[in-house]
Amino acid sequence: MNGRPEAVRFVPGQPDMWAFVLFEGFVFTAYFTAYVFSRARSPGLFLQSQAHLDLRVGVFNTLVLLASSWSVARCVQAAREGGYRAATRNAFLTMSFGFGFLVSKLREWVVAIEHGFTFTADEFSSFYYFLTGIHFLHLLIGFVALAVAVHQLRSPAPHSQEIVETCATYWHTIDFLWVLIFALLYVMR
Amino acid sequence: MNSGAEKRLMLVWLALSAITLAQLGIGSVGAQAGLAPAAIAASAIGIALIKVRIIIREFMEVRHAPVLLCRLTDLWVVLTGVMLLGGHLAGTAFPKR
Repeated sequence: MNGRPEAVRFVPGQPDMWAFVLFEGFVFTAYFTAYVFSRARSPGLFLQSQAHLDLRVGVFNTLVLLASSWSVARCVQAAREGGYRAATRNAFLTMSFGFGFLVSKLREWVVAIEHGFTFTADEFSSFYYFLTGIHFLHLLIGFVALAVAVHQLRSPAPHSQEIVETCATYWHTIDFLWVLIFALLYVMR
Repeated sequence: MNSGAEKRLMLVWLALSAITLAQLGIGSVGAQAGLAPAAIAASAIGIALIKVRIIIREFMEVRHAPVLLCRLTDLWVVLTGVMLLGGHLAGTAFPKR
């Protein structure tokens, strides 16, 4: 499939995925609002508990996910121009970044739990594990989406650009939801 | 790969990464400078939403999408900002005893 002319407006991927992205966006907005409300009600407790989190780890995780969004965007672009090898390479690169995030997040949880910072430790920790846990689940599903994209790109049959774009749209959603989680849990102190 | 598109994606990624690194200082600098918690919260939320909008427009290619999708995604970004700031102000107004 060739590139589209600049002036042509198009929905990247399947419209159903965009309906899902917007739905997920609103659901997470509700979670985030509950967090911000609770935090503003007991700022002292939250500040004290937030000290368990290392801002540098949060920054590292964010940089890794931003890099994964960049590589999956390159994957879509390359596939659109017929560069399936480059597109596949970028899809695998995205998986690697995703895996880096996964390992870093698991390590952060293990260290936190070893220090007694468990789900039930306090109100902040409950929000922390809930928000990062539900995001982690989305990340795992994201690997399935990337595998579907790779299958499309490597298939000898004519591949569907729409499916590749749909999978990329899902992966970007994981990224922008994390950007908000990072700001609320790590930056806002 | 089209070099113009590649360059644009690279610039977007670098800009997002630079903003993220700058966020390292927001909390501590804000608190040390004696900024009100509401101001620190507003800046953290505002910068995050700017990053989110860049991801949606550039990486997710919504800038090439039909106007309806552009408006819907912008609506979500604005609504999220209003809800978060409103949630913060409401929580501040009703502190836990």
